[in-house]
Amino acid sequence: MADEFPFEISPMFEGERIRKENMYVELAGPKSIGFELVRAADMNDVEDGKFTLIGPDLADMAEGSRYPLAMIYKIAGELVETDLESIVERRNHEFQNYIQGLMHLNQRDDVWLRVSKDAVKKGLNSFEQIAKAIMMLFKNELPFIEKVETIYITDQAEIEKEIEMARAVYKARDDRTKGLHDEDVDTFYGCTLCQSFAPTNVCVITPDRISLCGAINWFDGRAAAKVDPEGPQFAIEKGELLDAASGEYSGVNALAKRLSSGEYDRIKLHSFFEYPHTSCGCFEVVGFYIPEVDGIGWVDRDFAGTAPNGLQFSTMAGQTGGGKQVVGFLGIGVNYFRSPKFIQADGGWERVVWMPNMLKQKVVESIPQELKDKIATEEDVKDVESLKNFLKEKDHPIIKRWITEEEEAPAEEEKEEVSGISQPQLQQPPVQYIPQNMPSGFLPSVPMTGSSGSGGVKIVLKNAKVTVDRIIIKKIE
Amino acid sequence: MTRIIAVTGKGGTGKTAITTLLIRHLTKGNKVVLAVDADPDTNLPETLGCKVHRTIGDVKEFMHEERENLPPDVNKQSILESKIYEIIEELPGYDLLVMGRPEGAGCYCYVNNLLRGIMNKLVGNYDVLIIDAEAGLEHFSRKIFRQINDLIVVTDGSRRGLGTAERIRELVEELETDVDHIYVIANKVTDSTRETISSTAAELGLELIGMVPLDEMIVQRDLAGQSLMELPEDSPAVKEIENISRKLNL
Repeated sequence: MADEFPFEISPMFEGERIRKENMYVELAGPKSIGFELVRAADMNDVEDGKFTLIGPDLADMAEGSRYPLAMIYKIAGELVETDLESIVERRNHEFQNYIQGLMHLNQRDDVWLRVSKDAVKKGLNSFEQIAKAIMMLFKNELPFIEKVETIYITDQAEIEKEIEMARAVYKARDDRTKGLHDEDVDTFYGCTLCQSFAPTNVCVITPDRISLCGAINWFDGRAAAKVDPEGPQFAIEKGELLDAASGEYSGVNALAKRLSSGEYDRIKLHSFFEYPHTSCGCFEVVGFYIPEVDGIGWVDRDFAGTAPNGLQFSTMAGQTGGGKQVVGFLGIGVNYFRSPKFIQADGGWERVVWMPNMLKQKVVESIPQELKDKIATEEDVKDVESLKNFLKEKDHPIIKRWITEEEEAPAEEEKEEVSGISQPQLQQPPVQYIPQNMPSGFLPSVPMTGSSGSGGVKIVLKNAKVTVDRIIIKKIE
Repeated sequence: MTRIIAVTGKGGTGKTAITTLLIRHLTKGNKVVLAVDADPDTNLPETLGCKVHRTIGDVKEFMHEERENLPPDVNKQSILESKIYEIIEELPGYDLLVMGRPEGAGCYCYVNNLLRGIMNKLVGNYDVLIIDAEAGLEHFSRKIFRQINDLIVVTDGSRRGLGTAERIRELVEELETDVDHIYVIANKVTDSTRETISSTAAELGLELIGMVPLDEMIVQRDLAGQSLMELPEDSPAVKEIENISRKLNL
């Protein structure tokens, strides 16, 4: 079928670089303008297989020259919808790179193409040949496309007119993707890039939770997993929703168990205190519980000063990192502050009492209006005592918890868990995790989750086949 | 298959000059070369006689800085790839990339992982990849380049210089990069040092593949900040590089 084209079409040409010395013409790119756009249209508005060119064709272009280029594809079909536009558009990049002698880079209004001298020598002399090949690939590879029509533009003035329309489409698309939440998808993504130094770390990336390093969002996970499902980013079937408030899913729990080699078997995505997400060491921000005010402070890597608890980012990061669930501390990516599910199991923003001013300004738009001036920064308070006064003075909602606790304190034993949101139990003595061969007198106290309740002792033997790896002694929940 | 050569050595040994002369030889033989300057302390572009405006370090920094501003569903690998293609200097017979500044604070695991994939694909487009690498071989420990066919250690004639070659050999054993061969080139060799160098190298068990003589033409060009690509064929250093290239089958 490909015989009708003067070039070969194969995935093996992906990654082919056309150097300046072998370049016939450069299209769009950093020194010119252009864009690519796929639009879903009505069946009646698409003339299948039609190609229109506005501006000069390849044959009219001198060797070594540069032209702007816009590529618009109108697609139609029973199953074609607006949401598919960006997925189809992405395939233009892939398919154009299948063509020998054509290099396609980047996307949207940053596209950059080069046609090689060799390709022109072999008979490539019109954009129509390229467009026909792409339309053929679209219909072969994406059967939901029943009709496709192509318009290429190489006329500068015409592109300048159309590019604004394209940008408006991209913007509308971005607004839609920002509205995507955990409940809208069936698949989350995991990442193991940090496991080289945090072997039990389980990084779970969801639409409402960016990776701890802040670099990988759900879409990045999806893109990477598609290219290399066995690579460092991979799909997680999210499974059954076990608890909506804290974001607990059976699929995530199963993965946690596997990735941590059995160290952790529960991870609640939007919880600070109970079965929190593990913390790698790469996280951009660390959250810390301040027991005196029953609130949470956050400090980011860029803040060189000391938090109200007297500690610096580096100190807390050192305690928190390593791929552990550490109750009282939590590493996150900055973008998680913008999530509507931000530590929602523990009260979300109402639980936040302190952050460095720079960080606060960075995410200020995500802070609920009524809390904006109630969260202290290093400019307001220096220590826990002044923080307490600040919160009282500003009437931060956290002080309601102080009163509730004082009242409820005597009735503690009869109290049941209220509305699924459990109180932190940091007054409990932390569980001791005692590795073998640890010199005596050095017992690191690693607090672990779920150490609530009282009475009795539970001994868990792990990996006890011939010898005992470790013994964990903890209070029964 | 792309032949991958890394040239390393202590500062001041003239490893950048040797790299340049190897590139000169390769391009004259119509090989398509990707030259990578991976040593922040030297200046390969200057000895090649060209200017580089932006580096991979700048691009990584851009990706890091912009991570929250980029539209959520754009393909970041694609953006990074395009940015890297943008900073490649395209010169007659070869392309040049400069690694540039080190990483800032923060986590670059993801960007480096993307970079690995892109570099892997890019390198396949060339006959030869030649890397001017700093002695610590940092970019190899980060696995930006996974394999080296020939690791060339440039040294001056001193025992200390040859000792560095020995240390680099030990370092290579710790790297997860596959290295097929390690060779040593002695540089700035004079008649009085020639014999000692070869016996010391033999003593240390180093494979000495050539001795580039101290070349007045290079000294003059270095002083004037001129390119070494236009050295005449009768330059003693150029002649020895031809010999070495023959031995390396380049």
